[in-house]
Parts: sequence; C-alpha cells; structure tokens
Amino acid sequence: MNLLKLFVLAIFIILAFLATGCSTVVPVTVKFPEVPERLLEKCPQLKKLEEEAKLSDISKTVSNNYTTYYECAVKNDGWIEWYQVQKQIFENVK
Amino acid sequence: MWQIMWLFSLLPDWFYHLITIAGVVGVIAAWVLKFIPFISTYRLPIQVGSIIAVLFGVWMEGGIVNEAKWQARVKELEEKVAVAEAQSKEENVKIVTKVVTKTQIVKVRGNDIVKYVDREIVKYDTKFAPGGICEIPKEFIKAHNDSAEVPK
Repeated sequence: MNLLKLFVLAIFIILAFLATGCSTVVPVTVKFPEVPERLLEKCPQLKKLEEEAKLSDISKTVSNNYTTYYECAVKNDGWIEWYQVQKQIFENVK
Repeated sequence: MWQIMWLFSLLPDWFYHLITIAGVVGVIAAWVLKFIPFISTYRLPIQVGSIIAVLFGVWMEGGIVNEAKWQARVKELEEKVAVAEAQSKEENVKIVTKVVTKTQIVKVRGNDIVKYVDREIVKYDTKFAPGGICEIPKEFIKAHNDSAEVPK
C-alpha cells in the first residue's frame, strides 16, 4: 500500500514537472526599424497670391506650389518604398 | 513552478548526468547484487530511490537537450535579426539618397521655371496689371488662394 502511495506521489511530481514546460518566454526581440529623418519632415504649406498679384507673380506662385507638391510626392514615394523594403526584410527573419 | 525549474537550472549539467548514472547503477545493483547483505537489506528503498533518480535524471536530461536546442535557435534568430537590422540601415541610406536626388531635380526644375517666368512672363505684367486691358479678376486670386489653403 505504501509503495502504491509512493508511486502515485512520484507520478504527481513528474506531471507537475512536465506542466512547467508550458511556460514560454520570448528571448529574441526585434526593434521597430528606424525611419530616415528626411522622410519625417512635414510637407510645407502652399503659397498664396497677394491681392494685387501680377501675372508673373501668379505664374511663379503656381510653379512654386507645383514644386512643393512634387517635393512632397517624392517623400511620399520614399515612405512607400521604405515600408515595402522593411516589410520584405523583416518577413525574411524566421 | 518556474521558480523550482529556475533553481534546478542553477545546478550544473554534470549534476543531472550524475543523478541519471547513479539511478541506473542503483537499479542494476538492486536487481543483480542481491547477494550482498547491505543491498539485500535495503533493496526496496534502493530500488524506489534509484527509479525516482532515473526518472528525474532522464527528465532533466531531456530538459537540458531541449534547452540547448532552443538556445541554438535563439542564437540563430539573433544573428538573423542583426543581419536584418544592418540590411534595414543600408536600405534606409539608399532610400534617402534617392529622395535627396529626386528632390534636387524637382528644385532645379522649379528654379528653371521661375527664371523663365522672370525672363518671359514679366513682359505681360503691364497688360494684366490692375486697370489694364486684361486685368486679372479678384475672383481668380480668391479661387487660387482657396485651393492653396490647408484643409481644416
């Protein structure tokens, strides 16, 4: 009878040990990739015309605003490329 | 329960190898060396103790092998993450270079257009001046400025 009790106790201890295998930790952490400072710059506001603007002023303002738009578009394209490249790189880490 | 496992992990691996070997030796001794007086007297406790030692030792051996396997996997992943981070930095440099180059092109083009305006369009300024033949209406200025306004 005592041997049976000892056997049951031994089985209980073994099962208790096995249950510890269920606890898990994450030893490897991946940092969020750094974003280039250049892409973090905000897009500037568009320029406005003065009340008494001359034709050349209008033309220059419109041209400057198009330039501003294209500068901003370049940054936006940079963000898209950055996202796609970083996604590709970090999906390969398995 | 993890505290117990942590305590076990403090002991060196050879200790568990020793327990396993001692357990196996004990089981064999209790089974084969019955003719020795000491063993025949304490046969049952030796058998029970040895079996428990074997079970515990084998379990810990499994744990040691499993731990080694996971440590290797962790090391492998850490290496991959380090490579990925380096690659990420390299790609960032490439992207920034591309953005700077394209921005420069846009700026130069903008400046060229402004120069063209200063050279060619200014000739028509008087014609389109307020009170001139083709006066630019205030509504045009308003429409332009409303379009340039940041949406709220």
